[in-house]
Amino acid sequence: MAYDFSDVSVLIVEDNLPMVELIKSLLTTFGIKKISSARDGEEGFVLYRKETFDLVITDWMMKPVDGISLTRRLRNDPLSPNQYVPVILMTGFSEKRRVMQARDVGVTEFLVKPFNARDLYRRIAQIIEKPRQFVRSEDFFGPDRRRKNDRGYSGRERRAEPVMINVRSKMGEA
Amino acid sequence: MTHYNQPRRRKAEFIKPTNTLKQKVGHGGLSDEILDKAQKLLEENTHDFEPLAMMYLATLMQGVEMAKGYSPSTDKEQIIANMLYPTMQLKANGGMFHYNLVTMIADKLIQFLEVIDQPDIEVLEIVLAFHTTIIAILQGKISGDGGKQGQDLLNALSDACMRYFDKHPDDKL
Repeated sequence: MAYDFSDVSVLIVEDNLPMVELIKSLLTTFGIKKISSARDGEEGFVLYRKETFDLVITDWMMKPVDGISLTRRLRNDPLSPNQYVPVILMTGFSEKRRVMQARDVGVTEFLVKPFNARDLYRRIAQIIEKPRQFVRSEDFFGPDRRRKNDRGYSGRERRAEPVMINVRSKMGEA
Repeated sequence: MTHYNQPRRRKAEFIKPTNTLKQKVGHGGLSDEILDKAQKLLEENTHDFEPLAMMYLATLMQGVEMAKGYSPSTDKEQIIANMLYPTMQLKANGGMFHYNLVTMIADKLIQFLEVIDQPDIEVLEIVLAFHTTIIAILQGKISGDGGKQGQDLLNALSDACMRYFDKHPDDKL
């Protein structure tokens, strides 16, 4: 049994056409058949209102409307048909403050370019298998910005084995 | 009423949206075979990166020209952003189109531009050195990481940045 992406619809928003073609070819190989694209955030939002999309993959830097502004509109514009749509933001930036900026407008996953096929797949699988609850507060609407760290401590469990204490000798010493 | 038992002024509502993607795709993930096939497509793409890179380099050069007219009254962050954004595009796209060395060098320039305080003449000289190096890589069609020659180029540029920070200890790489 494997994922069946045949009924999934994806919107790619990217101004670099060779990049659009690359992402399309990756998604097609994954089995996604319904793929649309737009060249900037403005065009992307118009398309998003017309059709139903299960996932938006957008670049950050685009003119006139970038991926951050698009995400803000997807989440907060009353005209947005689905404010909960998962958004993967692609960018060459990897500095923490940039990631925080993206997170604060409601981006679901952050994908640093250059990336490989597995990087893209992992982001999609993360959205499918570990969807984040949404938070609505006075100044924010979007996926919960707190990440649960499932891995926890990965070092040696120093106290995992049962501790054998020779009670009698200890008592005898006492 | 003490500080801690006052009513919350900013309440947050938690919503669990329907996981339509999961409902549509089912279980099981994708096989390694599919992922390897996708990776192969990525590695075998034949798109010529040079025209795209030249466009970003021209934008970077425009950023340098604008920075030459920098005065304390101009928006310093905008001046730096004019150089930072095309550099980010070079970093992002180089590796996608087989020019990993361009990505590595542009990444180094991003790290530099992210921390400098003033876009002064010494900064611009360093940016120009990066610009010239990337042009040479493209014209020489040095794909991949460029081997030892690529590492030498990267080290030389990195040293230039370090020399700048030695002179300007308030800025940190």
